[in-house]
Amino acid sequence: MQCYAALARLGPRLIPKTFLVPAAAMSTAAEPVRKAMPSALTFDRHAKCSTTKARASTLHLPHGSVPLPIFMPVATQASLKGLTYDQLRETGCMLCLNNTYHLGLKPGQEVLDAVGGAHKFQGWDRNLLTDSGGFQMVSLLKLATVTEEGVRFLSPHDGSPMLLTPEHSISLQNSIGSDIIMQLDDVIATTSPDHARIKEAMDRSVRWLDRCIDAHKYPERQNLFCIIQGGLDLELRKQCCEEMVARDTPGIAIGGLSGGEAKEEFCKVVDTCTGLLPENKPRYVMGVGYPEDIVVAVALGADMFDCVWPTRTARFGNAIVDAGTLNLRHQKYAHDFSPIDEGCDCVCCRPTDKGGLGVTKAYIHHVTAKETVGAHLLTQHNVHYMLKLMVDVRQAIIEDRYPAFLRRFFSNIYNGDKTKYPEWAIGALRGVGMDLLED
Amino acid sequence: MDSEPSPSHEMTFSILGSAAPALAPRVGTLALAGRQAIATPNFVPLTSRGAVPHISHDMVRKETSINSLYIGLEDFIERKHPAPLYNVPAAAHESSLRKFICAQDDATLLLGPRRFPAIACPPNNTETSIAISTSVGFRQLEAHRYIEAIQKLKPDIAIGLADMVLGRAPGLKRRGKMIDRTHAYTRDALEHLYGESVADENKSKTKYFAPVLPLDNTQQSLYLDDLESEFRDYISGLALYESASLGFIPEGLGSLPRLLLSDPSSPHEILREISLGADLVTVPFLQGCSDAGIALDFAFPVPEAVQALGEPQPLGLDLWSSEHAKDVTPLVDGCECYACRKHHRAYFNHLLRAKEMAAWALLQMHNHHVVDCLLAGARESIQRGTFEEDVQAFHRAYVTELPDRTGEGPRLRGYQMPAAGPNQPRRMPKVYGRLDDLSQKFAESQSSVATPDTDAEGLEKHGFAEKI
Repeated sequence: MQCYAALARLGPRLIPKTFLVPAAAMSTAAEPVRKAMPSALTFDRHAKCSTTKARASTLHLPHGSVPLPIFMPVATQASLKGLTYDQLRETGCMLCLNNTYHLGLKPGQEVLDAVGGAHKFQGWDRNLLTDSGGFQMVSLLKLATVTEEGVRFLSPHDGSPMLLTPEHSISLQNSIGSDIIMQLDDVIATTSPDHARIKEAMDRSVRWLDRCIDAHKYPERQNLFCIIQGGLDLELRKQCCEEMVARDTPGIAIGGLSGGEAKEEFCKVVDTCTGLLPENKPRYVMGVGYPEDIVVAVALGADMFDCVWPTRTARFGNAIVDAGTLNLRHQKYAHDFSPIDEGCDCVCCRPTDKGGLGVTKAYIHHVTAKETVGAHLLTQHNVHYMLKLMVDVRQAIIEDRYPAFLRRFFSNIYNGDKTKYPEWAIGALRGVGMDLLED
Repeated sequence: MDSEPSPSHEMTFSILGSAAPALAPRVGTLALAGRQAIATPNFVPLTSRGAVPHISHDMVRKETSINSLYIGLEDFIERKHPAPLYNVPAAAHESSLRKFICAQDDATLLLGPRRFPAIACPPNNTETSIAISTSVGFRQLEAHRYIEAIQKLKPDIAIGLADMVLGRAPGLKRRGKMIDRTHAYTRDALEHLYGESVADENKSKTKYFAPVLPLDNTQQSLYLDDLESEFRDYISGLALYESASLGFIPEGLGSLPRLLLSDPSSPHEILREISLGADLVTVPFLQGCSDAGIALDFAFPVPEAVQALGEPQPLGLDLWSSEHAKDVTPLVDGCECYACRKHHRAYFNHLLRAKEMAAWALLQMHNHHVVDCLLAGARESIQRGTFEEDVQAFHRAYVTELPDRTGEGPRLRGYQMPAAGPNQPRRMPKVYGRLDDLSQKFAESQSSVATPDTDAEGLEKHGFAEKI
């Protein structure tokens, strides 16, 4: 998971008083004139769970249709960690992520413009989503500060002060040409104790959204998503939802989570936000990727998820299976000749007589963290697992048996021992009308 | 490369125009029961821990024509005996090695005691064992254990144990010892695998390639005589360690396939090895180039377009070079490999700079394809009878050295590097020293965190941010 902890250590922020902020004007004006917000997507809702808030839908994007709910693998630097895009396609992936921050550094806007966008650049003809780069900027560069203009940081090479504004971010994402682009938001750790700062970040994210909408050159082919901020304060989240929904972006993201906050808080925020968001728009919870978090967030009404965890953990030799995560570097797997996940139909686990590779735990143990191929194989399995999980989730919602699906899912992980079920999951699901402990 | 698996249980090696004299190029087919036949001359792809480095198994099957693999036993036997691969559940006719490494059914597996190229080990070989290097340190591989490995793992071809001296030239006494030991290892192995004392149903189905030491003819003549007479019925091929050995293969062994485990420095040298009569060769520089970010770019026989250029062309393309940053042409024009069909140079330049593993995976596929084509071209050329002229034209058309390595490759593991010694350079650059927080941050940002390659002005030009 992405680490927000670093954010808490940020130094004092410089907020130039001279910088004109039309925030007050905006909230008091009767109905501000806003740029019309065309949408390059259509969102078809198919089914809604009769108990929970889970929904099954299809998102039609410029590079193909994406069944929701969906997990999106993260190809940070225009490559999914050693996999070829045909291997990624094989897992069924229709939409993956690139990072604006990384692509802005390498190869840079000039190259992206010359080549004609990130799809052509990396040879991926399905959909791309890019984040705004603000998160990486603040979390990776210790010397960054957020001001009303944008994110100030020192160039890592020569130390000269630089400024990344919402306009830069959108311009970069326009050059990347991703199908979904994200606004630049003021990222702050949810665990921050500074309430004033959280409120400021929320207000600023709203103002920056307006700048992003203004700067967005291709709304007819790239969908700009807003990002709901407001920390763990539900009141702030509500205000933010209200402000941002009014701006009518094609999709809506819930940001600032996955930062080490308690899971109960996380669920409350998602539940509160989805309650206020329009039904006819996709909802994306950023940076969430553990299977348990995803299936619960789906029950709370979220549609899209991304996380580097499944691919990163694969490189460390961890396989995601129904029963949780297996650390295949452990000595006990050296002589285990069963497939990574019995019954999984990814190219690695499928037996050879069904056209698979018949990879065993023992072989992954043998190559993991030693040969790049070990990472390739396990990454394929993990991505396939996550996507297959989402296919199953969607099917369960369509057939209106999502509560039963959830019960089985948790029973698999905890081997049927209900006393071990996490409190936060039980509580969150009770909040949307289902009892996880029921038989 | 693409013939049907042969039906019989035997290995056949048929040489086209079998009257080929010694020290001349020859074309043939090596066919093993149930495996894709290998047209020779050809190259045997090298593996590391059972995998073709960087290319995952599914891509090997779908997007390369790899149908044989060289596997070093030392990659598998690092901890206490028996190693996991001996316990793979396999039917009587199945190879547990093949199952363990998930190799395709029709690929020919060649098992050697050590990786190739092997790393020189400080411990000495003994009368009954050789020193090997595993991922957890040096060990001895006993000769009887190697025989056991051949029996249990059932590779298609096993390369006999040889007492080799790596990294330095052996002295006179040592050379005598090398021959005696290798002789003894071979005699012992053949006895246990196929000897009269072994019941027919227990006789190994694995084909044994006897080693020929990288020494003079005269020194090992006794050993070679024995190979030709006493051992002849049991050996199915020869494993050579230098091209000079091709010159003194006894006539009686002339019909055996010759696997040349050598480290050619350029395609010119591969062609030379073929011209001396090598049937199977190894090409370590292939992976070396992939790791270095170099896409091989040569063809044999030389295409007219290259001939017309007049001056010698480079053998590869360094994709680290920023001149490729915006280049949307394939690595090599007209190349049909996966990497060239799907991607362009700009992407490779980016992947290398971003240290993304995909760079090496794609380059490996391309480089395998280029070497594949070189050998296919050589086979046709020999059959046409124009090999000698074609080689001369190749020498005129291309420079003789591979491009220099300019960029960093993947992180090397211990088992891929020579052992650290008192007079060896450091394996890794020093990482301690500057402990203050800021400089450490910068140092870290060099490696794990993406950092721009340019200064503030460059960033501004990139449109990334503006100077204030």
